[in-house]
Amino acid sequence: MAAAHKVNSMDNPTIVIDDVSKAYGSTQVLRNCSTRIGKGEVVVVCGPSGSGKSTLIKCVNGLEPFQSGSITVEGIEVGSPRTNLPKLRMRIGMVFQHFELYPHMTALENIMLAQVRALKRSRVEAETRSRSLLKRVGLEAKADSRPANLSGGQQQRVAIARALALDPQVMLFDEPTSALDPEMISEVLDVMIELAGEGMTMVVVTHEMGFARRVADRVIFMDQGRIVEDAAKEPFFAAPASERAREFLSKILAH
Amino acid sequence: MNYTLQFGPIWDNRALILDGFITTILLSAAALVLAILIGVLVGTAATAQGRTARALSVAYVESMRNIPLLIHMYFWYNGLSFLKIPAFWCGVLGLSLYSGAYVAEIVRSGIGSVPRGQRQAALASGLTNVQAMLFVVYPQAIRAIIPSLASVFSQLIKDSSLASVIAVADITYQASAIEGQTFRTFEIYITVCLLYLALVTAVSQTLTILSGTRDGLARRVADA
Amino acid sequence: MPEVILKNLPFMLQGLATSLQISAMVAFGGTLLGLVVAVILYSRVPVLSAVSRIYIEFIRGTPLLVVLFIAFFGLPALFGYQTTAYKATVVAFILFIGAYLAEDIRSGLMTVKPTLTQAALATGLTHGQALRFVVVPIAVRRIIPTLFNQYVRLFKFTSVASVIGVSEFTGNAMLVNAREFQPVTILAFVALTYLVICLILSGIGRWLYARLAVN
Repeated sequence: MAAAHKVNSMDNPTIVIDDVSKAYGSTQVLRNCSTRIGKGEVVVVCGPSGSGKSTLIKCVNGLEPFQSGSITVEGIEVGSPRTNLPKLRMRIGMVFQHFELYPHMTALENIMLAQVRALKRSRVEAETRSRSLLKRVGLEAKADSRPANLSGGQQQRVAIARALALDPQVMLFDEPTSALDPEMISEVLDVMIELAGEGMTMVVVTHEMGFARRVADRVIFMDQGRIVEDAAKEPFFAAPASERAREFLSKILAH
Repeated sequence: MNYTLQFGPIWDNRALILDGFITTILLSAAALVLAILIGVLVGTAATAQGRTARALSVAYVESMRNIPLLIHMYFWYNGLSFLKIPAFWCGVLGLSLYSGAYVAEIVRSGIGSVPRGQRQAALASGLTNVQAMLFVVYPQAIRAIIPSLASVFSQLIKDSSLASVIAVADITYQASAIEGQTFRTFEIYITVCLLYLALVTAVSQTLTILSGTRDGLARRVADA
Repeated sequence: MPEVILKNLPFMLQGLATSLQISAMVAFGGTLLGLVVAVILYSRVPVLSAVSRIYIEFIRGTPLLVVLFIAFFGLPALFGYQTTAYKATVVAFILFIGAYLAEDIRSGLMTVKPTLTQAALATGLTHGQALRFVVVPIAVRRIIPTLFNQYVRLFKFTSVASVIGVSEFTGNAMLVNAREFQPVTILAFVALTYLVICLILSGIGRWLYARLAVN
C-alpha cells in the first residue's frame, strides 16, 4: 500500500472544505474549518465528542446545512442552491453509526433501492450488483434476511455494501464501529481496510486508532468545532503538535 | 347559488338552541359520572387477582365497545320500551354503558402503570386491599388517567348527539326542529357544529389546565 | 335462531352487505385522504399544512351525526344540488374518518428516526422518494393496530347512516322491528352480529400487524 499512487492528488483535490462555519441555534458547532482531501486519500477525523466531527462530514454530502464557507466535492459546490443534491449524493457513499438499514426490507432490497429509484438501473442489473456487493462484504448468504435478524456487525457490513452500490467516488464513515460490540468491530474494519487498499477516497470519523495507524494517510484532529491538527499519519502519532491532541491521544491509546 | 345565508331565523330561535345546549351538557355530564363509576369498577376488576373478575371485565369491555352506540340507545328506548324509561335516561344509560367500557380500558392501563410494588408495600404495611387501592394505587393511577379522561369526555359530548335519534331534546334534536320551521338548513347545522366545537374545546382546555395545576401542586408538595 | 330473525334474514343481511360495502369504501377513501393530509403536515407544506390542521381540528370537534346532516341536508341546500343518502354518507364518512386517520398516520410518521431519512437521502434518493419508499411504509406498518381501531369504529358508525334513511344493517333491522314488534330479539341479533364482525376485524388487524410489523 505505497503512498506513491497518492502523489499529486492534491493538484485536483476531491473534497475541498473552505472556511466552513455552522451554528445550530445559538451554539457554534463548526468554526472556520478548512481542509482538502485528495483522490485515494484515507483521512481519519478524530476528537472528543461534541467536537463537530460528525457534523463536518454530514456537511460534505449536504445532509447538514452550513452558514458560511464552502465545500466542493469533485468540483461541485455542495452549498449552492443550484446543485442537484440527490445526484451529488450518488457519488458519495455514507455509512452511519447506527447502520440505519431500512427495517422493512431485506438486506438485498436495502442495497437495491437507491440503484433502482435514484440511479434508474434495471431491477435485474441492480440485483446482480447487489448480490456481488454482499459477497464482497462476506454476506451473500444473508441477502434475504431482515435487519432485525442480523447482528450489528452484519448490519454495518450491509450498510457499507448499500453505500457502495452506486459506485461512489468518496466514502464517508460516521463512527462506523462505535455502536458495535467489541467482537464485531474487526469484521467491519476489515472491509474498510480492503476498501482503502483498493484506492477508495475515504473520510472516517472514528476512535479506532489502530485502524488509523494502519490505513490512514492523514489524521485530522478536531476540538470544539475547530480543526486543530491536520497532519500526515506518522507525524501525528509520533508527536502531535497541539496540547489537546496530545491529551486526547494519551487517553485513547491508554486502553 | 340561489341560497342566501340568513342567520336571523337562527338567532330568533336561540331559546330553543339554549335549551338543547343545556340538555346536551346535562346528558353528557350524567353519562360521564356513570361512565366513570362503571369504568373504575370494571377497570379495577381487570387488574384483580381472581380470574373470574378479570374475565367478566374483559367480557364487559369487548361486548359494550363493539356494539354501536346507536344500538345501545335503541336497546333502552325500543328494546325495553315496556319499562317506559324516559328518553333522556335511555340516552344516559346507553352513553354510559358504552363509554364506561372505554373508561375501563383507561383505568386498567392507568392502574397498570403504577408499579406493582406500590400495592404490595401498602398491603405489607397492614392496609386492606380496598385501602391499598384507595390511598396508594388510585392516586398514582389518576395522574395517568386524567389526560385520557379529557378525551373520553370530549368524545362523550359528541356521541351524545345520537340521543337525538331517540327523541332526546338535545341540541342536535333542536337543530332538526328549527330546520323544519325555518328551512335555514345550512345555517342551523353549521351553528350547531360550531357550538359542539366550542363546547368540546372548552372542556379539553379546562381539563388540560386542571391537570397541569394538579401536577404543579404535586410537585410542590413533593419538594416541600 | 328465532323465527322472526330467520323470516327476515335476507332483508337484514342485505343491509349488512350495504354496511360492509360502505365501510370498505370509506376505509379505503379515508386512508388515502388521511395519508395525503398526514404527509402534508409531516412535510410542513406551507398553506396546505394550515388548511389541513384546520380541517382536522374542525372534524375532531364535531359529532358524526352533525357532519352527516351537513353533508346530506346542509350542503345540498347551500349549493343547490341533489344527492342521495348513500352518497352523502360515503362522502361525509370519508371526510370524518380521514381527519382521525391523518392524525394517526402523522404520529406514525413521527416515529421514524430522522437519521433513517438521512440515510435514505445519503444514497441519492429525493425527499419524495425517501418518504415513499422508506418513511411511509415503516410508519404505516407500525400503526396497523391504530388503523384497524379506526376501521372497526367506522364499521360501527355505519349504523348512524340509518338516521338519514340508508338501507344498511341497523336501518333494515329497525324496519323489520317496526313490522314485527320484537325489539329485544332483533336488537340482540343486531348487537351480536356487530360484535362478531368487529372482533373478526380486530383479529385481522392483529394478524396483519404480527406479519408486517417492523421493530
